[in-house]
Amino acid sequence: MQVEFIHRPGNTAATLLLAAGESCTTESGAMIAMSGQLDIETTTHKRGKGGLLKAAKRLFGGESFFLNHFTARSGPGEVLLGTALAGDMMDYTLDGDALLVQAGSFVACEQGVEIDTTWQGFKNLLSGESLFWLKLSGRGKVVLSSFGAIYPIEVDGEHIVDTGHIVAFQETLEFSLTKAGKSWLHSMLGGEGLVCKFKGRGTVWCQSHNPGSFGMSLRPTLKPRK
Amino acid sequence: MKAEIRGSDAFSYVDLTLAPGDSVVAESDAMSSMSADLDLQARFNGGFFAGLLRKYLAGETLFVNVFKNNTKAPRSLTLVQPTPGGIRALELHNNTFYLQPGAYLASTEGLKLGVGFAGFVSWIAGEGLFRTVVKGSGTLWYGAYGALLDKEIDGEYIVDNSHLVAYEPGIKLRLQLAGGIFSSLFGGEGLVTRVSGKGRVVIQTRSLSGLTGWINPKLS
Repeated sequence: MQVEFIHRPGNTAATLLLAAGESCTTESGAMIAMSGQLDIETTTHKRGKGGLLKAAKRLFGGESFFLNHFTARSGPGEVLLGTALAGDMMDYTLDGDALLVQAGSFVACEQGVEIDTTWQGFKNLLSGESLFWLKLSGRGKVVLSSFGAIYPIEVDGEHIVDTGHIVAFQETLEFSLTKAGKSWLHSMLGGEGLVCKFKGRGTVWCQSHNPGSFGMSLRPTLKPRK
Repeated sequence: MKAEIRGSDAFSYVDLTLAPGDSVVAESDAMSSMSADLDLQARFNGGFFAGLLRKYLAGETLFVNVFKNNTKAPRSLTLVQPTPGGIRALELHNNTFYLQPGAYLASTEGLKLGVGFAGFVSWIAGEGLFRTVVKGSGTLWYGAYGALLDKEIDGEYIVDNSHLVAYEPGIKLRLQLAGGIFSSLFGGEGLVTRVSGKGRVVIQTRSLSGLTGWINPKLS
């Protein structure tokens, strides 16, 4: 599978080129357009793996219940994928390692990639993030999306990332929920609240914009909910 | 201190490298990531009363954060704004600059932030009754929703409501109808702001009230 990104970073779409016999799995609702001869199959799980339980877990993860599988059975084809929020996309090739991905950032993966939902404990509940992360492992390409630009941070030691700005991180990193400054009072007063502290060696991919903060800035002029 | 604005016009963010002893003041919730050993201190936005005024009158937050590098090596800090759009850095040398509500992002310690009465015209125009007044010497970072346009004014210029981001002290605001009564009511422009004087105005290409104005009728 080949991945090409077009119209970066403002209106990014991913073009997945499938050779004959190849297949990929995508987040439901991400498809913009596709070649006519591709087969689509919608399941609640990665083909041949898991089942309803995994789908239910994914629902908690902020992802949709269903996944779409595109297969190029009768010759090569392409799938165009897009997201609801304006922003950039990235690809990453898994080679036996694993990525933990923020709910909502998953776009697509190759057939050799395992998708699982992992419980990260109650710390996630407190952080205002969703309770689950998607764990992508195995071998193959994955495509992720963000709100805004994506910037990688190579962590060697400790680094802090505000909740709401994490796209994905390598599993080699340990993460804990903490305060941004030395004192809890200052972290709360300063509006930074809880942040994620990454420890160890590995990469964290951050998004420049926080969907929650953008939503809050619309609030003063948005019609009240009935 | 080294600062670089990255992420293109669409998604600007500021990457800062603080040398030992450096500090920077940023709007509440502006930090997206930072070295774990930077010190963060929340303080009232220009003193308790000025902070309250700025929160309730100028649409800014009650507290700002001061990030300080108390280590012996350079440390990194990334600052972002809530809306997708451009960010500008401006060097002030003992002069004054006016920001519209919400435009402030960060500044160096040499700058003082205050609240100024912008006049009823500004308020009716949807630009807020008060404005943030930035004074002193140092670097100011401010941002917008959409791209930022600079316009040197000598005389008069017209800006649509809620598209004004910042302006220099030589500029005065006046409210008027976009055209005649008919085109003002039906042309979708309504009230506009007439800026006059000599100096620079900064305009944003999008407006949040424009977006919510489009969404609101679709909400049930």
